Amino acid sequence: MKIVSPEEKSVIQKDFREIWDSKMARSTMMVVPVVLLIVLPIIFLAVILNAPMDQINGIDRMIKLLPAEEKGLSVRQAMMYLVTNMLFPMFFLIIPLMMSSVSAANSFVGERERGTLETLLLTPLSLKRIFRAKVFGCTFFSAVATAVSFVVFSVITAVGDILLEMPFFLNWNWLVLVFLLAPGITVFGVVFMVLISAKSKSYLESVQTSGYIVLPLIFLFIGPLSGLFQLNAFILLIIAAAVIAVDFPLWMIAAHSFSPEKLLR
Amino acid sequence: MAEVAVRTTQLGKTYNGGVCALHDLTLEVESGEIFGFLGPNGAGKTTTVKLLTGLLKPSAGSCSVFGLSPLKKPCEVHRLCGVMTESAKMYSQMTGLENLIFFARTAGIDAEAASERAEELLKQLDLWDVRSRKLREYSTGMAQRLSLARTLVNRPKILFLDEPTSGLDPESALAVNSMIASLASTEGVTVFLCTHQLRYAQDICERYGIIDKGALLACGSVEALSRSAGLRVRAALRLRENDTPVDFQRGEDGWWYTDMLQEDEMPALIKSLVSAGHDIYEARIIRPTLEDVYFRYIQSEDKEALL
Repeated sequence: MKIVSPEEKSVIQKDFREIWDSKMARSTMMVVPVVLLIVLPIIFLAVILNAPMDQINGIDRMIKLLPAEEKGLSVRQAMMYLVTNMLFPMFFLIIPLMMSSVSAANSFVGERERGTLETLLLTPLSLKRIFRAKVFGCTFFSAVATAVSFVVFSVITAVGDILLEMPFFLNWNWLVLVFLLAPGITVFGVVFMVLISAKSKSYLESVQTSGYIVLPLIFLFIGPLSGLFQLNAFILLIIAAAVIAVDFPLWMIAAHSFSPEKLLR
Repeated sequence: MAEVAVRTTQLGKTYNGGVCALHDLTLEVESGEIFGFLGPNGAGKTTTVKLLTGLLKPSAGSCSVFGLSPLKKPCEVHRLCGVMTESAKMYSQMTGLENLIFFARTAGIDAEAASERAEELLKQLDLWDVRSRKLREYSTGMAQRLSLARTLVNRPKILFLDEPTSGLDPESALAVNSMIASLASTEGVTVFLCTHQLRYAQDICERYGIIDKGALLACGSVEALSRSAGLRVRAALRLRENDTPVDFQRGEDGWWYTDMLQEDEMPALIKSLVSAGHDIYEARIIRPTLEDVYFRYIQSEDKEALL
């Protein structure tokens, strides 16, 4: 059985093309992952490899943030461990959230703004199938973009690990992040955008509104960095489960709110 | 008896802000008919089309398209119809050909047939030469014709056209009108045409509904509407200079005019004038136009509102 029908596939392809053709969406979706998961890791790695560690302020306090089992690491290795496990997970999770919300904003709000949503709603495709095609398309697009970003980030980090003679960075925390939390956040970003799409006046306004959902994410990772609390695979698993659990009712509400009368108001 | 293509029964729509856009609309359009739905801007024409195509939910009454409720079975209704409204746009970053192929695909037509149908329509609507241009590079007239092509992509049984000739030059407007007329006559397509371009409407429509401020004022053929509006057929005669017939009014153009109850009175009228010694150089019957009927209804509605 096919996941999407040929009609839905044409809607998905059309949405991909529209996202790609939008200069603003395209640049945001290319620049942010490149900066967060390529440029910044390279800069951090260069600093860790080359900077005189004894001249950097606050190193001792940072090393105190290391979990007990990693206390034996050298200063450079400890720095690498900290940025890889405390800073970059936050940067990484911004990618699915941003990819999903920008693509969904373009697909839902942008289409309404351009006056083409009404035309699409007049086709023989049911509302349910249009909704499914759009959500599936945005989710798939974000998932692929997130996966590519992660692979590139992994290569850079692996090079750092080799140079610093450390074990490969991919631990249980990262596995939960990549395989549970990131997909959960992707769906959340799309569904959240659908929910606000009927109320947003423009594509820009909807993207700005989606910026608020980055805040809990930042808090989640600023906490461990400031020593407030520690994140481990189990806590991340619970958070991922909570996000996925929230996704389902939100999906149902979003699907229910996807009606011509509300969308074309 | 012909199948009923569109039926509305006491159909009404009040928007959330309390604005009543349509009330108590009851009408029937037969299959194969070209029905002109006339009214000024904001009269409720577009609201009616949106209700008939399931884009809006009625606040009162009901409607159906070929027996299907647009509220309960919007997809089935969309499968039967082609809809062109001013607010339903096409994809500006796609070419004309790509747009039509996309809409054909969403209608369930396979890739090869979609491509063939798109090419056929582009040729029919004189857009073949610009098929590879992006829609954003199209002129208003070209974009309007492409929208019409979109409505035809799934070979609809009924067309809902909201101002299809607005923004078109007279030549294109005539071409679009003749295409609509030919679809109805050769393929039996029903056309629900919303417009305020009365001259074009009179050329192709068989019956009309006149709507203003959300209420249907009258419905019928031009003849029936003229009768109920109290508009009469007139005889117009050109006589010799300084000749003055009895019971005729002289127009500014020098012709003599009089009202008749029916067109059949014309031969007897001419005979009586000739036998009375008048020389008739020219004679013609002037029937009330759609424009006369329309303004009679709209203006009488305005007067009632003032009272």
